Amino acid sequence: MAFQMTRRSFLQASAAASLTTALSGWLVARAQAADSAFVKKPFTAPGSFGGSVTVTGGVCEMCFWRCQVVGKLREGKLVKLEGNPKSIDNGASICARGNAGVKLLYDPDRLKYPMKNIGKRGAPVWKRISWEEALNECATRLQGVIKQYGPHGIAIFPHGASATYPMHYFEHLVGTPNNSEASFFQCRGPRDIAYINTFGVEAGESVDMPNARAILLIGTHIGENIHVSHVKQYLKGLENGAKLIVVDPRFSASAAKADIWVQIKPGTDTAFLLAIMNYLVKQGSYDKAYVQKNGEGFDKFTKAIAHAELDWAAKICDVPVQQIKEVADLLAKSAPHVAVHPGRHVTWYGNDFQRERALACLTGLLGAIGVKGGFVKSKGPKLGRVKWPDLGVEHAEEFALHKKADKHKFSPPGTPTQMLRDTALSGKPYPIKACITWGQNPIQTIPGQQETIKMLQQMDFVMVVDLMPTDITMYADILLPELSYLERYDIVKTGTQWNFSDKHQQYIAPRMPLVSPVSNDHERKDSVWITNELAKRLGHGKHIPVASMEEMTEKILAAGNLTLEQVKKENGIVLLPGKDPYGVPLPVKFFNDDLAEAGYPGAPIYTPVPEPPKGFARLVYGRVPVHTFNRSMNNIWLNAEIPENPIWLNQETARKLGLKDGEKIQLINQDGVSAQAGILKVTPGIRKDTIYTAHGYGTRNPAMTNGVNKGLDEQTLITRPAVDPETGAHGMRTAFVQILKNGKALSIPA
Amino acid sequence: MSQYGMVIDLNKCVGCHACSVACRAEWEVPVGTDSAKRKQRRNWVERLGPDTTPHGLAATYYVGLCNHCDKPVCVDSCPADKVELTFTDIKTGKKQTLKVSATWKDPFNGTVQIDKERCLGCGACADSCPYTARYIFEEQGIPKVDKCTLCVERTTVGLEPACVQTCIARARIYGDLNDNKSEIARYITKGAIRLENDKVKIGPNIRYLGNKKDLALLNSTSAVPLKMAEINQRRVFMASLMKSSLQQLSGIGMLGLLGTLAIQKADEK
Repeated sequence: MAFQMTRRSFLQASAAASLTTALSGWLVARAQAADSAFVKKPFTAPGSFGGSVTVTGGVCEMCFWRCQVVGKLREGKLVKLEGNPKSIDNGASICARGNAGVKLLYDPDRLKYPMKNIGKRGAPVWKRISWEEALNECATRLQGVIKQYGPHGIAIFPHGASATYPMHYFEHLVGTPNNSEASFFQCRGPRDIAYINTFGVEAGESVDMPNARAILLIGTHIGENIHVSHVKQYLKGLENGAKLIVVDPRFSASAAKADIWVQIKPGTDTAFLLAIMNYLVKQGSYDKAYVQKNGEGFDKFTKAIAHAELDWAAKICDVPVQQIKEVADLLAKSAPHVAVHPGRHVTWYGNDFQRERALACLTGLLGAIGVKGGFVKSKGPKLGRVKWPDLGVEHAEEFALHKKADKHKFSPPGTPTQMLRDTALSGKPYPIKACITWGQNPIQTIPGQQETIKMLQQMDFVMVVDLMPTDITMYADILLPELSYLERYDIVKTGTQWNFSDKHQQYIAPRMPLVSPVSNDHERKDSVWITNELAKRLGHGKHIPVASMEEMTEKILAAGNLTLEQVKKENGIVLLPGKDPYGVPLPVKFFNDDLAEAGYPGAPIYTPVPEPPKGFARLVYGRVPVHTFNRSMNNIWLNAEIPENPIWLNQETARKLGLKDGEKIQLINQDGVSAQAGILKVTPGIRKDTIYTAHGYGTRNPAMTNGVNKGLDEQTLITRPAVDPETGAHGMRTAFVQILKNGKALSIPA
Repeated sequence: MSQYGMVIDLNKCVGCHACSVACRAEWEVPVGTDSAKRKQRRNWVERLGPDTTPHGLAATYYVGLCNHCDKPVCVDSCPADKVELTFTDIKTGKKQTLKVSATWKDPFNGTVQIDKERCLGCGACADSCPYTARYIFEEQGIPKVDKCTLCVERTTVGLEPACVQTCIARARIYGDLNDNKSEIARYITKGAIRLENDKVKIGPNIRYLGNKKDLALLNSTSAVPLKMAEINQRRVFMASLMKSSLQQLSGIGMLGLLGTLAIQKADEK
């Protein structure tokens, strides 16, 4: 051992050693008493493994991928989070946010007590109240809205695992259709609906990258976005020699590893995809056998895309013809082992359903379904669900705005946000007078910020449930503090090993608390308790399906013949033999008659988007690996890594405008709206017509003492969101901006 | 002798910053800067590019930590009194006794370590490091230098270094650079480079593997120090003055008065 072998350090080393050998004993119980031989050295951090116990059964919720974690606790206090070594998903690794969960748990700015706003919405003055008073007021005011306006007078904005139970209560039992899930309308909605309407299944991110010979990423900046096992899949594919094609106006983290980088003009990706498909069809270099056997409407499809020549696309996309051909040829050569990535956050331009349809059709054309490297759905374990009775469903259906207006006929579940908000603002066809947000921050999540604020202001009642004082909390009448994922049960994470070439296994990992939910410095509650208390007061007590989160978890597990006790014995993760997921072909509706009958294009089409006016660039946004959109910006460990979101500007443009890397500037949009100041990042790695920044910075709430006004909230600039016709989802890369320096708006040269 | 070190495989690294946060968690490293404006970190990730290089447009990451150098200038800069320490090789049980100040290079595993109790907190070593790998920890009242220990405390008990364990890309390869059968040695033969140049050649033992353009980008940034760093001599002088006064006066009980005189003398200088 390198250290001076004093008696003290010997004791410490042997204590640590006995901790290690005892580890296998720890795997029996979830937590044991700390080893008493641990000796603390002055000025020396003991390390997470010094005198700590390991508690298993954590499931992360810093993002929504839900890696399986363990906690290191010293005297009941969490000191570190690590991947659960038993996990066949993330293993012993977790990402920056996963590691930083400790600083969410102990964030001094976290919501602690039920609060009543005795000031104004937007300029709150908080009075601490009891749970009894808070719940009574919520129930009374919600009841008031239901009585006067009907259940559909309530709008809900849920997000995350804890919001599922209350969302289900309000939608299915109370009977409001006005549920705007950010996951659908500001994220994945068009993707999954498009794939359902092509293959009959949701897309997920179900491409077998580890075993692909080529990987096609449209956007999809893996590395700047992080889902642990997904990154592992991607890197394994690259390690195994997959060719990487990245289509992005910016030299993203994935473009940096690409074999081919297509520096496409934003908004034109569908033209690119149609031209490739048309080329493959005309060359005959597509999977004729697969298409013959599984395709529907192929002839109508080929006719519909026949106009999409390579030089047509080259002009529109502003990329060389040769490059489009190169990509097409590479895909054909690598077929069927091609991972055409469906994307994740796809709500870009308001024409996104069509782009997703094109991606699905391209996958089918290449025969890249059910084979190594292609679109393959994993076969994971199936467990139970906890539901409220469907007593309000009929009413909800009747009052669903998009159904009444016969619009957005292929909307994901819930109601398109834009319609919901427009209705609340106009009162037509009916008033929406109560707003419940649960783990979602509509102020930063939904484009058209001023309209969102107006919508909140016109409500009779606003109830907010959250962990952190994000911007939305400033508009609450009643603000309720929730327990974090480290302090509660709720979902059961299931899945398989991430590489389908490895031994087939399934895993079941229920979320279990790693630390006690009870403490004398807060009164936080879990969402099952809060919802049940509301339900009782609203006269729905007899319909309550479960009395606690723990009971909910037991019910879900019971359908798989498991109990929490068994899971605890298995160190938080139950492993089961898995099933081979390969060999499952899927039908491919190249032309979809249902879409056509509903008045939408039956085959994928390219719809051009409005061009930036002269002197403006298009604002696009993305992620940084240390944040989860706007959820984590107050975290001191994550802040320390990437404190602000730099504004990416083309080097040539910067030179012409006399701007320097690192300068503080603002962006101002086509409506004269500006956002907070940001730091300029001058780089050759972005198109001249495009400006980029990461989403999730710039909260205005001073209660977020670490995150307030750090960086810019680019959502402020998205004042003219587009709306996707088929799904009603938003399109958010619609802002055109100039640089604002010293009060002067600088025109972006062409 | 073993020389433990690391290779950062930039072909795999996606710049997720997990390593940086895990290290902070593991070793309770504070955020922000110390009173001499040094960034408080043991392990860091700096985002580089996109920038043009002779081999094309590149974007990569400077993943930094203490290099546990062959010729550590920090060790030479420490003004603390030398004491005899006996080192034991875990593998062979062999012993060696050396006279070391408050920071030294372990003769058996090659890592550079610190005795926090004997550290004077003068900052000389932190100033001397051309890689800015050290900072002064001031959270417990008495300043003490801190840096990456290559997680010897963990590896001794069979755990991976915290950064290695959390790396989602398995892009951090830890091991004995002098063991030609080890995984890390294979990376050296694959051409993992050192961040050094003519002016700064102290044998860093963290190496980087990457493609041509990524390494070109890395080499063009401040990841490669351009010159040896300067030590703030006043601070060192004050620390050594305090130290010698303390030695002479231990047991006499006139420390208070002469301690003040010592500081006055230093101020005059």
